[in-house]
Amino acid sequence: MIAALGMLAGIILGIVFQPNVPHGLEPYLPIAVVAALDAVFGGLRAYLDGIFDDKVFVVSFVSNVVIAAGIVYLGDQLGVGEQLSTGVVVVLGIRIFSNVAAIRRHIFHA
Amino acid sequence: MPDAQADRDAARAASADRARRPLLDVITQESLDEDYQHVAEQKRSAAAAGTAPTRRPRFVATAVVAAFGLLVTVAALQTSNASGVTSASREELQRQIKERGDEVGTLQEELVRQRARNIRLQDQLDTVSGAERTASKRVTRMGAVAGYTPVSGPGVVITVDDAPSGEAVRDEDLALLVNGLWEAGAEAISINGKRLTARSALRNAGAAINLNGPPPLSPPYVVSAIGDNGSLEADLLNTTTGLRFVNVADALGFPVTTKKVDNLDLPAATLRKPRSATVEGAQPPPAKKERPS
Repeated sequence: MIAALGMLAGIILGIVFQPNVPHGLEPYLPIAVVAALDAVFGGLRAYLDGIFDDKVFVVSFVSNVVIAAGIVYLGDQLGVGEQLSTGVVVVLGIRIFSNVAAIRRHIFHA
Repeated sequence: MPDAQADRDAARAASADRARRPLLDVITQESLDEDYQHVAEQKRSAAAAGTAPTRRPRFVATAVVAAFGLLVTVAALQTSNASGVTSASREELQRQIKERGDEVGTLQEELVRQRARNIRLQDQLDTVSGAERTASKRVTRMGAVAGYTPVSGPGVVITVDDAPSGEAVRDEDLALLVNGLWEAGAEAISINGKRLTARSALRNAGAAINLNGPPPLSPPYVVSAIGDNGSLEADLLNTTTGLRFVNVADALGFPVTTKKVDNLDLPAATLRKPRSATVEGAQPPPAKKERPS
């Protein structure tokens, strides 16, 4: 419940203030969002498993975002930014899918 | 520390096992962060040992979720803002560039054309203002001659009064004097501050003399004439009409005084527009207007 309110607050803040992302950080925003999505679904699954721990959640969220953006940045410097971001998206996508599948099992028992 | 040794061995075995498994299997099976498991196990063992787990408030997690919402929103807004540029294909962009370039070219041609037009108009303006200057000089010159511009210069002032015997100065007497002055080379004449123009006439109206309309002149009549200071008076006596005026004045006993003045200021007469007369050969004012091309 509190988490849902926090999410709502974040969305409203974003819509109201419409913060401008610095031009240099712009390419890393989508990949950071995907990484954050993975962390959030992982946290949700852990919550449903009954093993949620907010410290782990915060650490996994921050490290996910930073590592994903860092990998893409490194790839950009090496000239394989697009390929690396594809790889990151594939790995994170698989994790998101299997986490969502676990969540589904919890909710629908199927 | 046998326990620690056993843990290390187990960890080593686990990582060796992990390295042998296919990557996709690892990803799928470890989709949940292992840390959740570890922390849960630690909590369980702590609970078993009797130390109750402390329940932390979830402010931090809420803040992180809020940050996530903000991140998603910003990314969505950014993407939708940038969609105009990113969705346009290369050809489309090239087409737009070409279009704008053509526009710029057209505008530059227009600029060149307008500049040329500007120069042409400037030349015309110069011509017209030159003509205007010439014309206004001419107007001033002609006004000075015709009596419609104030003039100043050296001249003589002749004062004529009615005779002490009661004989009044009449229009014809003043006309003789004025005509004599014109003949003698006077360039501008005024009587009692009223300028003589090309249309002026001296007329008797009862006892008074009219010049240029009311009010009538009254004696003494001060005739100011601009002309050659030194010769005007002598030349007046050399003309027939001037001589006749002198004779008449002598005969009727008009007191006449003559004074040479170095600087006379003669006023302008009010301009009356001709109603019936039209100027022959005069052109209507130019109504030429340059239309923007």
